[in-house]
Amino acid sequence: MTDATLPFADLERVYERLAETLDALPEAQERLFLAQLALALSHRVENVDRVMAAIEEARRGVAEVSV
Amino acid sequence: MRPAGRAETDSLYFDYPHFPFVRPAELEGRAVRHRVAIVGAGPVGVTAALELARHGIESVVLDDKATVNDGSRAICISRHSLEILQQLDVVAPFVEKGLGWTRGRTYFRDREIFRFEMPHSEQERFLPMVNLQQQYIERFLIDKADASEPVELRWQSAVTGVRHDASGVTLDVATPEGEYRLECDYLLAADGARSVVRKALGLALHGEAYEGRYVIADIRLRSDFPTERRAFFHSRALPDTTLLVHRQPDDIWRIDYQLGPDEDPEAAVEEHNIRARVDLIVRDVLGESDAWELEWWSLYKAHTLALDDYRHGRVLFIGDSAHLVPIFGVRGLNNGFADAANAGWKLAWVLQGRAPERLLDSYSPERRGATLDVFANAGKSTRFMTPPSRGYRLMRDAALTLALHNDYASGFANPRQVTPYTYAESPLTQADDGGFGAGPMPGAPLINRRLGEDDYLLDHLASGFTLLHFSTDGRLDAELADRLAMLEAGGHAIDLLRVARKPDDIGALADADGSLFTAYGAAPGSAYLVRPDRHVVARWKRLASGDLDAALTTALGGE
Repeated sequence: MTDATLPFADLERVYERLAETLDALPEAQERLFLAQLALALSHRVENVDRVMAAIEEARRGVAEVSV
Repeated sequence: MRPAGRAETDSLYFDYPHFPFVRPAELEGRAVRHRVAIVGAGPVGVTAALELARHGIESVVLDDKATVNDGSRAICISRHSLEILQQLDVVAPFVEKGLGWTRGRTYFRDREIFRFEMPHSEQERFLPMVNLQQQYIERFLIDKADASEPVELRWQSAVTGVRHDASGVTLDVATPEGEYRLECDYLLAADGARSVVRKALGLALHGEAYEGRYVIADIRLRSDFPTERRAFFHSRALPDTTLLVHRQPDDIWRIDYQLGPDEDPEAAVEEHNIRARVDLIVRDVLGESDAWELEWWSLYKAHTLALDDYRHGRVLFIGDSAHLVPIFGVRGLNNGFADAANAGWKLAWVLQGRAPERLLDSYSPERRGATLDVFANAGKSTRFMTPPSRGYRLMRDAALTLALHNDYASGFANPRQVTPYTYAESPLTQADDGGFGAGPMPGAPLINRRLGEDDYLLDHLASGFTLLHFSTDGRLDAELADRLAMLEAGGHAIDLLRVARKPDDIGALADADGSLFTAYGAAPGSAYLVRPDRHVVARWKRLASGDLDAALTTALGGE
């Protein structure tokens, strides 16, 4: 198990691909798609603590901007 | 546009010059054949004229206006552009009047989430970016051109027709005192986004026009906020609008905001709407309480459009006539300056018979390559600044929200400011010598190094090709000295710039601590061959005298 992360240039590619994939979906299916993606990515992470930390990061961001 | 009651040239801070019409030789019935005509006396056209003049080539510059640009428009001058202006011996007023900067801040929901620092060090003479209104940029260049013998500026002279063939170019010119025909060997089209030359040749720009429309508004406001680039996403006052704010000289601030998809652009640019929106931004987003005055505003769209080829026979397109790029990343004018320098020296070498005409073939691949590189970056920036669709908007907001607390996401907010392009694939560039671990690769521009008080490496470049040579004592071996002398005798003088650890004479630059050697990955005997526009042709860890001829031939367009 390592703490390796994706290089930023690859993260940018993911950003673009996700934007285009989302655009190709009906808006009503966005949530289902993103939830599936979260599970599929978690499956590929060997350490559950890292997945939980990512969930907390995202939750915290939402809480912050919902104020 | 200006507030009601004020003329186009009625500015709060800038005195517009008036350039009179002067009857040219052609109207007196004299036949003149010009070497180079340049259409458009904007910053790119006049820079090209100064670059030609630097190499001793005369040019005539035609412009339909009688003064400089109506508004501030392109305001960010990059370090690489300042280095071009330094070579034209015109940079001093830019540095004196302009506001230099190195930093920027990004705000999301009125909170600062990211600060960026542009690469800068004490090795650089110039700051990474200088803000200066385009009127000043043009005036400083025109003042220099007026004082430059080889440049003839012709104001109030509109080009109405263009014909070209293998032997030259003919222009129809309309003036207040009648029409005339102008004959020239080569034409540089620097006549901007709505280029008359481009239309006359039946050429069109190709690419994408993004949906977004933007307003740029200049206001006069006294504020202590430093010279930094500020970007605001999703502010409480204007949640659907992305804002950019830049400081300019004379207490002028540039406010750049996006119009909503349902907003009517014609209504948006009416003065009362501009005033209402700007006031909201000044008060609620910037938090400024002082009174402000409206100076000028304009509407623009984000384009990535370019000509398929920047050269058509004896006509070369430079600046916005060849390419339109989005404003984010400040690449429009900065790439125009680089076009002017690139086209200028190549044309000079061809006209002087020092290079075959095919040298000009390299102009389009080099500069269009730079444009396509800009498109790749600018497209990303534009999709981030102004998301074109639901998916891009969701991803943008997700990245900004994560960036509130996570550094890994803040890179998305990096504005990807202009960096000089490397002509690695150019036919004028030689393959790299694998022995180097540092320094600019072939195709890249030289890097600057501080040598002492007010003394930098790039200050020492001459106007032509330069051989940057590294040695222990500053002496050349006899074979290399002979080779340089033979090249000079054959009309191919190369200026020698020697860097030495312990120079024997005062002609060499002293590098006592070896830091210049290190920055260039050099050892005694290493050398870089550099073009007039400071881009590296070739480099050798250990130069053999026979290497030079082949490299110079490549740099001048090949056999």
